[in-house]
Amino acid sequence: MTTTVQPSTDALISSTQRTIGILAKRSIRNIRRLPSAFFPALAMPIFNMIVFAGTFFAVTKIPGFPTDRSINWYMPLGIMMGAAFGGVGLGFTAIRDIETGFYDRLRMTPTSRLSLVLGPLTGTLVRIVMMTTIVIVLGVALGARFTGGVLGVLCLYIAALGLATIGAGWGLGLAFRFQDMRGAAVMQLSIFLVMFLSSAQVPLNVMTGWLHTVARVNPATNILRLARVGLVDVGNPDHLSWNAVWGGLVAIGVMAGLTLTFAVRSLHRLND
Amino acid sequence: MRRRPAETARHLVALSRRSTLAIFRQPALVGPSLIFPLFFAALGSSAFSRAISLPGFPQVDSYLQFTLAGTVTQGVLFGSVTGAAALATDIQDGFFDRLLAAPASRTAILFGRLAGSSLFGAMQALVFLLVLLPFGVVVQAGLLGYVSIVVAGFLTAFAVGALMSVVALKTGSAEAVQGTFPVLFILLFLSSAFFPRETMSGVYRRIADANPISYMVEGQRWLTIDGVSLTAMLQTLAIPAGIAVLTTALALRQLSARLRAR
Repeated sequence: MTTTVQPSTDALISSTQRTIGILAKRSIRNIRRLPSAFFPALAMPIFNMIVFAGTFFAVTKIPGFPTDRSINWYMPLGIMMGAAFGGVGLGFTAIRDIETGFYDRLRMTPTSRLSLVLGPLTGTLVRIVMMTTIVIVLGVALGARFTGGVLGVLCLYIAALGLATIGAGWGLGLAFRFQDMRGAAVMQLSIFLVMFLSSAQVPLNVMTGWLHTVARVNPATNILRLARVGLVDVGNPDHLSWNAVWGGLVAIGVMAGLTLTFAVRSLHRLND
Repeated sequence: MRRRPAETARHLVALSRRSTLAIFRQPALVGPSLIFPLFFAALGSSAFSRAISLPGFPQVDSYLQFTLAGTVTQGVLFGSVTGAAALATDIQDGFFDRLLAAPASRTAILFGRLAGSSLFGAMQALVFLLVLLPFGVVVQAGLLGYVSIVVAGFLTAFAVGALMSVVALKTGSAEAVQGTFPVLFILLFLSSAFFPRETMSGVYRRIADANPISYMVEGQRWLTIDGVSLTAMLQTLAIPAGIAVLTTALALRQLSARLRAR
């Protein structure tokens, strides 16, 4: 007769936490080991911030534009693009790990499947904090001003981490479903569309036509609004306003919940 | 080995045909360089429709009319990388060496590849013009304007394709050619492709002032907005032609260097 020893709940939690820590450290260590992979993730938001702020320097003169500094508008966009693509980048890593067989070895370990999602996600969030900090420092050096002070900075970090979590859940889910680089194209294209079909370039009150209709119902618009509450002019209705914050928080909560569920369910399907 | 011009021309036609068919047989390569510029044009027409009344903007009917030249240039710049990447792939998979072993004209190998991406550039320009026409984007310069913009598409693709061929011939790596793509992207954004230089300021304005892409785009823009003028024609055609002469010389030099190294 064989008996199966079920691990206690405490042991399971401890094992899950340990695995999350190990996988997060692996992800962070890769910044030093593979700087060529981290550099584009850092260069893209910086590039976006600089070229958008420079090219569209004059848009702030449109009546109703919420700030008179183009860098105040486009620095959050650069960070949010970096966060979104940094998040889905986790899907790229997962595809590589699946192709090299590393995921098969992970799945044979006696740990919860949830930790295989939360571990790399934690590492990604640390990377996003680093990227956000660097872009903010550079943005401030180039003339960005936080009209909302520390609270404004905090909102920008929350929005970046939230969007990265959504991107990571989406990227991991697609990676587990496709299991090869076909998934990478879907990840990039979908995030690209979601980001640009929002208030990425100009606020809702400035845009017209079909984009206004799409951007109004796009959750990314609310998240961008949250990111910018501490950077718009003091007299603007969005300036540190709860009305501008809660929509972003709800969008992050709902979208992150959905995409992480998609990732975990896809991982279980991978196990089958 | 000296070849008769007729023989070289025959090789050129055969290799041009091959490279042109290769581009059109790969919709995954063709699609993005047609779709993305049109997507950005559509996006801009909604996002920046109110910007056209800002000081520094020329008198235009819509942002779409303003951005037509930028859309053409953007598409052609991105599409022209594919020809050079294909040349690098030829080097990687040994087809280039087999051509060299055959009594094929050396310059036809290079110009054959460039012809494919240049024809694709002209076709892209034509597609953008035709797609935007129903949305009220009319080129004020008339038929001469339409033809000039299509020829500019051909010349720009030739110029950029030759420049990218230098990378392909030097490295023999398609990844290295694709890796230069961000440089084109940066050059495009640091120009007046999407907003007029008159609305920019500081360092950014100075970079856009020094960027030849600004003048190339503006030539096409004046043909679209104002009609025919000598300056507009020169900017539209002479700038990409001049760059093409320079980059072709560089590509031929790199081809000679590769041949000598064999």
